[in-house]
Amino acid sequence: MDQHPAPGAPATPPPLGEHLRSPRLRAAMLVQQEALYAARAYLRGEGFTELLPPLVGPVTDPGGRGAKALDVDYYGHPYKLMTSAILYKQASLHGFPRLFYIAPNVRVEPEETAGTGRHLVEFHQIDVEIADASREDAQEIAAGLLTHVTEHVWTAVPGILTGLGRAETDFADVRAGKYDVHTHEEAVARLLAAGHPQNPDGEIDWAGERLLSLESDRAFFVNDYPKGSRGFYDREDPDNPGVLRNFDLIAPHGFGELVSGSEREADYATIVTRMRESGENPAKYAWYLKEARDGIPASAGFGMGLQRLVRFLTGLDALWQVSAYPKLPGVVAP
Amino acid sequence: MSSLSAPGFPEEHVRARARGGTAAVFPDPAGYGTRLYGPAPAAPADALDRARIVPPVFMPERLGKLIDLAREPEFSDVGLTTSVGGFTARLPLYLSAFGSTRAGSGDLAVHAARQAARLGIPMVIGENMVPVHGYRRAGDAVRSALSARIDAYLAEVPDGCGGIVVQQSTEDADSEVWNLLYSDPAFRPLLETGRLAFELKTGQGAKPGLGGMTVVDRAEAEQLARRFTVRDVFGEDSAHRLRCATPGTFTDEILRQQLRFMRNNFPKARTWVKFHPGRDVDRAARAAWAAGADAVTVDGAEGGTGWAPGVFLDQVGLPLAECLRRIGRPDGCLLATGGIWEGGRALRALALGARAVGLGRAALVAVDEDPDHGLERLAEALALELRLLVSALGKYATTALGPEDLWWPDGSFAAPAHPADDGTGHPAAVTTAPGEAARPAGGAV
Repeated sequence: MDQHPAPGAPATPPPLGEHLRSPRLRAAMLVQQEALYAARAYLRGEGFTELLPPLVGPVTDPGGRGAKALDVDYYGHPYKLMTSAILYKQASLHGFPRLFYIAPNVRVEPEETAGTGRHLVEFHQIDVEIADASREDAQEIAAGLLTHVTEHVWTAVPGILTGLGRAETDFADVRAGKYDVHTHEEAVARLLAAGHPQNPDGEIDWAGERLLSLESDRAFFVNDYPKGSRGFYDREDPDNPGVLRNFDLIAPHGFGELVSGSEREADYATIVTRMRESGENPAKYAWYLKEARDGIPASAGFGMGLQRLVRFLTGLDALWQVSAYPKLPGVVAP
Repeated sequence: MSSLSAPGFPEEHVRARARGGTAAVFPDPAGYGTRLYGPAPAAPADALDRARIVPPVFMPERLGKLIDLAREPEFSDVGLTTSVGGFTARLPLYLSAFGSTRAGSGDLAVHAARQAARLGIPMVIGENMVPVHGYRRAGDAVRSALSARIDAYLAEVPDGCGGIVVQQSTEDADSEVWNLLYSDPAFRPLLETGRLAFELKTGQGAKPGLGGMTVVDRAEAEQLARRFTVRDVFGEDSAHRLRCATPGTFTDEILRQQLRFMRNNFPKARTWVKFHPGRDVDRAARAAWAAGADAVTVDGAEGGTGWAPGVFLDQVGLPLAECLRRIGRPDGCLLATGGIWEGGRALRALALGARAVGLGRAALVAVDEDPDHGLERLAEALALELRLLVSALGKYATTALGPEDLWWPDGSFAAPAHPADDGTGHPAAVTTAPGEAARPAGGAV
């Protein structure tokens, strides 16, 4: 794992008051405001309905890579703060076949991620779900969203972006809608060839992802992660067992992952089996499994990290610089 | 003063060793010169104990050691340090999981942890500790039963050896035990020195196919009812209730994926798997090694410590010897448990392919006899016997042992015609007994 701070990024934020007064944060928040405006406009234009996500529940996304959910006492029941509202997105599809959240998430990430520049304990996702959609449909929306937001922000506040050191050429490919596509297998092969010890069975690790992102001048999708590397809800490819119908969207120039998404598993028996394969006790997920047994629509969707998007737009080094109230992994902050 | 008993287990012998250490390996020296010694009448024995340990006459490996040392080798030249599931262990031993029973999770377990650490051997912490006994949370002054064992171990373990292995069962997964430990700053030193492992437990020798069971009182039962099934099996008037955990569901693919999940999510922790003595334990062990397990533990039906229904204790599961026979030459690190308390039984398990053996009931009885040094003395006695036996076989490392070192009077575990002399020290194959149907390769019976 990458334990080195992103180049040029101070390791930790200053005291909160000082951070809130800084002109750089103000610039970042103006960019964020435009990005949110553009994201909502784009998704509404594509027929999506915005819902507000739940904050606590009996279960949340089980996560991985050592990230933990926070427990809360809910009338004597152990509930979790949402690390991701993916299960609620799926359950909502009956009433809202194209839906999105601007969702707050809390993930107690392992402390070694404090220096990646790309992890916060509290962050937001633009969370999208589409009934009866394929991976390619979801990728088209994710790419369209990034293109539209970038176009809008560059047009709305060009002075702020140039003031932060960004140039029009930094966004040329994204604004033109040009994206590359690789498979996970190809990405692993590139990393191994470059001498990076990437585990072929797992997620691309932080350092590997940064390497791939730095090497690339254009945003790119990574498809087909191996089973076991992601959540039980990522659908296994029926034509290619062991491979998931999922993807990441990686920004160029070292800004790393912006989006994770997939086709979702909707078959009840397969969901239960996949839960066991990830060591989960299905009983925990009783409400969700009842929905699945009754029939959850097939879907695809994704989450785009809002702070990661704003960091890409502003070109700043670390996520804490684009968060008004940053909480770095392992660093106790107000 | 003892509070613990272990019927059916050679408890008095273990207690004698916990008191006397290496002296208990030998007859009482007071009788020396006035008494003639010979074998004791044969006691009832399981298949593993029925095997004789059979030194050869010609000993090329002793010659090799002689050349190396430039003197005649002695039993003290036998090296017992070995690699156990990715850890260095000073003896081919580890402290088995005790779980969340009252006997297994109280002070005795803490004493056992401290002594295992001093011995430089790994310690396995059983399932259900966190859901039953809790875990240190923000603001809590008191550390949990699990933390107490870990603290005791870390305070005494020498640099460069030992390790802590933590099981997670279904109910533990609800409590995210591995995640809690992996991200707890208190564990950072263990992770940084490569001395933390997580063990996926699929079952146990005392009750194959069942989950953990403990006896609880009514108040505890109410408290636990949300996380476990609690049954009233002792009669309505009884103060006792039976708390049952679920055994978990495994298939080839579930096992493979869970191991992959463990390695992906906890890359700095070693990955161990424990199987009950199931009829397809050979297939399961191979699947685990193929999926990258650093150690596979097989708990024979002679295994114990946990609360179990009598019918399971007496009638269910393969004996340890049969598990080892079915597994044959291990593809990776194999660990064996089930009634191990002295050097002879340990050696037979090692000769059948195990890298190390676990002490469960023996460890608890030993610390019950002497909380400060009982386990250390027991282990020292066992280590001395191992050195004597291994050197008698003309070998100088436990990894050099093989099935050729054993002989069964009834021929049921006959060694291969050509003992494994391939340098690995592991059995090339273990032949099928006369009259026993040959099993298809890789097939379950």
